Amino acid sequence: MFEVALIIFVGGMTYRLIRVLLLGWGRDRVPAMGSKTVGVLKSYLKGILIWPFIPWVKDTFKRNPLIYVAGGLFHLGLFAVIFLGTAHMLVWKSLLGFGWPTLPLPIVDWMAAVAIVAMLALFINRLVNPVLRMISGPAEWLNWGVVFLPLVTGYIMAHHLWFGYTTLFSLHMLAVDMLLIYIPLSRISHFMFYFFSRTIHGTEYGKRGVMP
Amino acid sequence: MLATQEALNQFVEDTGGWVASQLEACTRCGMCAEACHFYISSGNPAYSPVWKMELLRRAYEGRFTLSGRLKLALGIEKPISDSDLDTWRTIDYEACTLCNRCSQVCPMGIDLGSLIHGVRGALAAAGEVPKDLEDATQKQIEDGSPLGVDLDAWKDRMDWIQDEWEVKLPIDVKGADTMAVFTSIELMKFPSNFAYIAKIMEAAGESWTISSKGREVVNFGLFEGSTEHTILFLKRIFDAAEELGVKRVMVTECGHAYEALRWTSFNLVQVPKGLEVTHIAGVLGEFLNAGRIKLKAGAMDDNLITFHDACKIQRKGGHIKEPRQILNILAPNNFVEMTPNREDGICCGGGGGVISIKEADQKRFDAFELKIDQMNEIGAKRVTMACSNCRLQFTDSVQHFDLDWKIYGLSQMVAESLEE
Repeated sequence: MFEVALIIFVGGMTYRLIRVLLLGWGRDRVPAMGSKTVGVLKSYLKGILIWPFIPWVKDTFKRNPLIYVAGGLFHLGLFAVIFLGTAHMLVWKSLLGFGWPTLPLPIVDWMAAVAIVAMLALFINRLVNPVLRMISGPAEWLNWGVVFLPLVTGYIMAHHLWFGYTTLFSLHMLAVDMLLIYIPLSRISHFMFYFFSRTIHGTEYGKRGVMP
Repeated sequence: MLATQEALNQFVEDTGGWVASQLEACTRCGMCAEACHFYISSGNPAYSPVWKMELLRRAYEGRFTLSGRLKLALGIEKPISDSDLDTWRTIDYEACTLCNRCSQVCPMGIDLGSLIHGVRGALAAAGEVPKDLEDATQKQIEDGSPLGVDLDAWKDRMDWIQDEWEVKLPIDVKGADTMAVFTSIELMKFPSNFAYIAKIMEAAGESWTISSKGREVVNFGLFEGSTEHTILFLKRIFDAAEELGVKRVMVTECGHAYEALRWTSFNLVQVPKGLEVTHIAGVLGEFLNAGRIKLKAGAMDDNLITFHDACKIQRKGGHIKEPRQILNILAPNNFVEMTPNREDGICCGGGGGVISIKEADQKRFDAFELKIDQMNEIGAKRVTMACSNCRLQFTDSVQHFDLDWKIYGLSQMVAESLEE
């Protein structure tokens, strides 16, 4: 089942990537004022290093800090669990053939808890914020649920809170399979297109000699 | 109805992977709203940038994605209808200046301004352009000016400016280095700008000219989003430049025209070989640094003065340093920055053609209240800018709100403080 889900995930994402690439890309003939490369570098630096860790440099942070803090913590927690949790690293190792050092369990555990709390905050925010209420349809709620399930089942399993271990392991795996199959059909795939939009953003601003 | 759907689809298809990849990257987190002056000032969620590109998303997904087609088939998503076009016409033309501040805060770095411009393009293709914009575009097509100033009226006006300010405006001089292109806002509302720029050019010893053929730099095609009209108006300028054999086209104080000529034209039309496009703000910096003009240091240092960053000249144009260099010479002790500024500056609220749409007046004034707050915060009553459209929005709003501010154009300040 996991293998099937994995194949659907990889196949689906590849299909989406190729489809977007094949839609055609015009050549940019505009003479540049600044450096596109510098723009792209700055764009990634800001997106990966500055904003997630010092979001208050942004004017908009003051207007809606919750979305920055909860959004940032959720992603941080999620990445830590998926890539730096020992159990998950072992899954990666079996798939890729090599492993890497991981974080101690209590830290990963805390980060998972933070991610779960952040997701709950984001859920409430989506219910209350007028803009998010307007743009949220069934797909947005489903996205939230499909990501929340693996996180919460994993957490319960790691803590032996309720049910037997085998039951929870099956539930967790089922949730992960669902997530993998669903990603190519949804906006959760944004992690792949992030590299397009950030590059385009950096290129545009760099070309104009402006800080992206 | 079907034609409309086709128009929207066609747009997505034409723009290809660039647009698709951006739409695919959007997580619908809604952060862009917090950067938009129309949303902040009204609290209306429909003015959030993500909602402004909703039509484009629906058109794209309905045509290109599996889940989008599935949603349409299951009835979760409705096909785009005429009443949708009506709704988005109001949102995209009246409550967006295409200032692109939203792209600066988007965590994914999506270039929302360009996508919304795309929605305008689709609306224009479907014939859904606000009446005022459409009329102005028609006038620009027929008379060569959105305000209906034909060649004879323009020549009269040039004569009047030369008499009134006692300057020489070189018209249709073949072989000049620089061709200055003015906007109708300067022509009708700030005619002194012609005189100021003439003074600066003369002081710098620049060989320059104004073209009677390329006399109008405003591009209402760009406001509409119509590629066809954008190209038509761009060509008038480039044909004139080619005919006069100039080396560069200098956009005077107009933001959107600069965007069209400097950043859009090269991908749309055949720009004459070797022709450079520049903005007066850049040229002023160039003259200063080369020592071709000298300014009276501290000439405006008697009171606080601040600078308003125009979206198309600073955030999207790159001329961020030059105006500050000038202000630091003219008001070394009294030049204060508004916050936020530079590439994060808050838009005046009148750009993108919004100021020419009567129905948008209230939204435009509401958005301007953010500028009032920014000015009050630093206690400045004098402000300068390098865009006539911003300047018109400022002067109009100052009247509307009965403020005792003084509004300057950047060229005006430079011309008035030239060292003889």
